[in-house]
Amino acid sequence: MTKADWAALLADDAEEGRRRAMSDDTDRRPECRAEVEAIERLLKETEAVRSEIRQAAASVNWDALPALIADRALAADGPARARASAPGPLAWLAAFRLKPALAGLAAGLLVGAAAMYFALRTPTVRHGQDNSYYASGEFLDRAELEMARRNALDYLEKSQYVLLDVFDASGQGTSVPAAVRSERARDLLQKKKYLNAQLERVQMAKAKAICDQIELLFRELAQIDEELPAAEMGRLRDYVEERQLLLKINLVKKELQSGV
Amino acid sequence: MSEVSAGREAGAAEIASLLERIQAGDREAFMTIIRLYQQKVFVLAYSILRDREDALDTVQETFLRLYQKAGLYKPGKPFQGWLLQMAKNISIDHYRKHRRKRQEWETSKPIDEIPLPAEPSGEGDSPASDLRGAFAWCVDTLAERQKMVFVMRHYNELQFNEISETMKISIGTAKSLHFKAVQNLRKRLAPVLGIET
Repeated sequence: MTKADWAALLADDAEEGRRRAMSDDTDRRPECRAEVEAIERLLKETEAVRSEIRQAAASVNWDALPALIADRALAADGPARARASAPGPLAWLAAFRLKPALAGLAAGLLVGAAAMYFALRTPTVRHGQDNSYYASGEFLDRAELEMARRNALDYLEKSQYVLLDVFDASGQGTSVPAAVRSERARDLLQKKKYLNAQLERVQMAKAKAICDQIELLFRELAQIDEELPAAEMGRLRDYVEERQLLLKINLVKKELQSGV
Repeated sequence: MSEVSAGREAGAAEIASLLERIQAGDREAFMTIIRLYQQKVFVLAYSILRDREDALDTVQETFLRLYQKAGLYKPGKPFQGWLLQMAKNISIDHYRKHRRKRQEWETSKPIDEIPLPAEPSGEGDSPASDLRGAFAWCVDTLAERQKMVFVMRHYNELQFNEISETMKISIGTAKSLHFKAVQNLRKRLAPVLGIET
């Protein structure tokens, strides 16, 4: 008998013809018969173990055990199940049972919506794409006013120096050459062109008024490259004094320095 | 073993329905499943552990795990195989823990206080009780898979297809392991049985 025969014999699934052949074989060959008897004796011992198991099983109260186990299971699982079954804000999701496809779709929609929200709502600096920055209209308005204030201050400061030169030239002492004075006046006239737009603001009305008066004087000075006679210089000085230009410049400057 | 087996076999649809109710926390459904399979689980656990209390602990542990994992059962698969597989794993874990504890306890004791296992005496005139002890000892010392197949086949009286489902092996492998188990037992018990090797 082969190993396969023995395995089939032990598994009790040999075909009828094969079983008969094996039976004949064991009858003919004493060593085979001895082997079968040995295995039968061996397997008979399993009956003793089965008997032991029966005895052990008979001593168990099978009617009470299910309730005991169920109590333990429910006691252990109760709080967790109660927490899980409490309807939360997302309880409606449970109706879908989060099947993989639906869960994936829902997750995709959520991620997409979140990405769109952040992309459209939050202004961010994107390197290499757009270097402009965002600022509120109020902030820009305040910045423009501040620029106008500083430029007007600078203009008035420089104008003051030119006017003081006029006073020096009209009196005794050293004075700036007429050509230099004329050049400075031209520069200031040039600056005034750029300053005009900034002076249009309501807050800069006083500064505009004084700057306009000075501008008239500078137009005259810009055309004079040679030294003027004393009488002519006196007329210019009178113009400045009459309108109290230097005093007004100081007042407007102080006002501008303290903030518009 | 029919006396200790479940009174009836439950159909796949009935089992699926019971498991669904268990997931919803239905105590009665859970108790029905326990009633159907508790004795089969006990027999398997007792066969491995050979101790009534340990086997009962395993029965409880198996059904508690079933209660927690009822949702993992795939309808269409044999439920008994799935449940017995769980019971087998718990029994083996229990057995290994117990064996480790026993080994630790034994190493901490003087040698003359350690109870020796019932080894085969090797004498031809051994009494029947010695043969039973030797047989139990030899089954216990079989390789784990051989032992599991032998126990399921002879103590649980499972068919080979049921054994293959429980152990996740093919039917052919189950038969082969069974054959090897019998061969090894026969070899080891030859002196006790009074047969030639």
